Amino acid sequence: MTSFFENLISTFPAFMEAAWMTLRLTGVSLVLALVIGLVFALMKVTGVRWLSYIYSGYVGIIRGTPLIVQIMWLYFGITHIVVLSAFWAGTIALAIHSGAYIAEIFRGCIQSVDKGQMEAAESLGMKPALAMRRVILPQALKRAIPPLGNQFIIGLKDSSLVAFIGITEIFSLSMDNAAVTFKQLEFYTIAGLYYLAMVAIVTFILSRVENRMDTAK
Amino acid sequence: MIKVEQLHKYFGDLHVLKGVDLDVAPQEVVVMIGASGSGKSTLLRCLNFLEMKDDGRILIDGEEVDPATTPLNKVREHVGMVFQHFNLFPHMTVLENVIEAPVHVKKTPKAEAIKQGQALLEKVGLGDKGDVYPEKLSGGQKQRVAIARALAMEPSVMLFDEPTSALDPELVGEVLEVMKGLAADGMTMVVVTHEMGFAREVADRVVFLDSGQIAEQGDPETFFEKPQHPKARQFLSRVL
Repeated sequence: MTSFFENLISTFPAFMEAAWMTLRLTGVSLVLALVIGLVFALMKVTGVRWLSYIYSGYVGIIRGTPLIVQIMWLYFGITHIVVLSAFWAGTIALAIHSGAYIAEIFRGCIQSVDKGQMEAAESLGMKPALAMRRVILPQALKRAIPPLGNQFIIGLKDSSLVAFIGITEIFSLSMDNAAVTFKQLEFYTIAGLYYLAMVAIVTFILSRVENRMDTAK
Repeated sequence: MIKVEQLHKYFGDLHVLKGVDLDVAPQEVVVMIGASGSGKSTLLRCLNFLEMKDDGRILIDGEEVDPATTPLNKVREHVGMVFQHFNLFPHMTVLENVIEAPVHVKKTPKAEAIKQGQALLEKVGLGDKGDVYPEKLSGGQKQRVAIARALAMEPSVMLFDEPTSALDPELVGEVLEVMKGLAADGMTMVVVTHEMGFAREVADRVVFLDSGQIAEQGDPETFFEKPQHPKARQFLSRVL
């Protein structure tokens, strides 16, 4: 037990740096994923057939293949087309991956808004795009917050997979330490604790946002 | 004001409207009645292009509206609609609901829209509810807000799709009062309703639909006292 705390303390500075990398990967990829998800969801709900096919293709391929394959494919697979830094290969892979799930969240929330809302907006002379922006999306986005929070937490933990393209974040740092010291139990426990702490922070922020949306409309 | 010629509408194999002709004169109040499934709501929704006709012609203000070529949002600016389930925007306050379309569609300056919106709310008896969200209102109040919201676009005709059907009985009266006031102001109105008292008192003309066709129409007194069509007689004996 003493060795556990010694290890925890001695590696603390390195793990803080690694945690910052995890947060950057997660933060940037989720912002991109929100944009991707919204664009694709809007493509789906326009009712234009070919846009809807693109949506189904994107969501189908991304949800149908493992994230680790997508990360490897972007970093090692397409080097003859474009060479991405490990950070950007990882970030883009995470963004495209979460984007598919977030697109499904947005699509579901948009379609869950009562169709009378669109009818009322259109009966007032609003064009579909204006009605979407002013009437449908504000209601849909509010409903999207709980499932989005869930997806954010998944995204945070999924970022551990970029360890396999050589980015130093929490998980890869634990692997390195475990391999060098042979203290597997200690270092994977430490990794788990850092993820727990980060998820706890994200959960806290999300619950605050949800409360505020509840009171503020 | 509104002219409908040989309107046909299908839902899949179901022939809902079978060649309807209807003429609504300016300032006229036309009340459409009929059993469930007779096509009266569908006919009303066709007038606002929330349902698309399959055949026939619809003329608004003397001009034929072809959904393929006419921008429908422009047509709808002049045709107000009130729905059975109100369809207020729940994320906006009552006043925001009313000024939404004037500000974002008509581009009325916001200060002016607020002034007009407030006046409309007072007209429907809800001048003190501007800052409240719709969820805090009773059904009757919601429907009066919905009427104010439609009026805010200064439409030349108002369509009402069973405006009191979702209300508790004791709240029906306040909505009908507002509608009577509108009729008295000379608003052109097409109303689908089950309120026979309202039809009798306010309508200039009652249109009775049966299985997708206008079976009988006429002034309310004649229609209610001496209905000619057997289906109309049957219908009235059930609802009166």
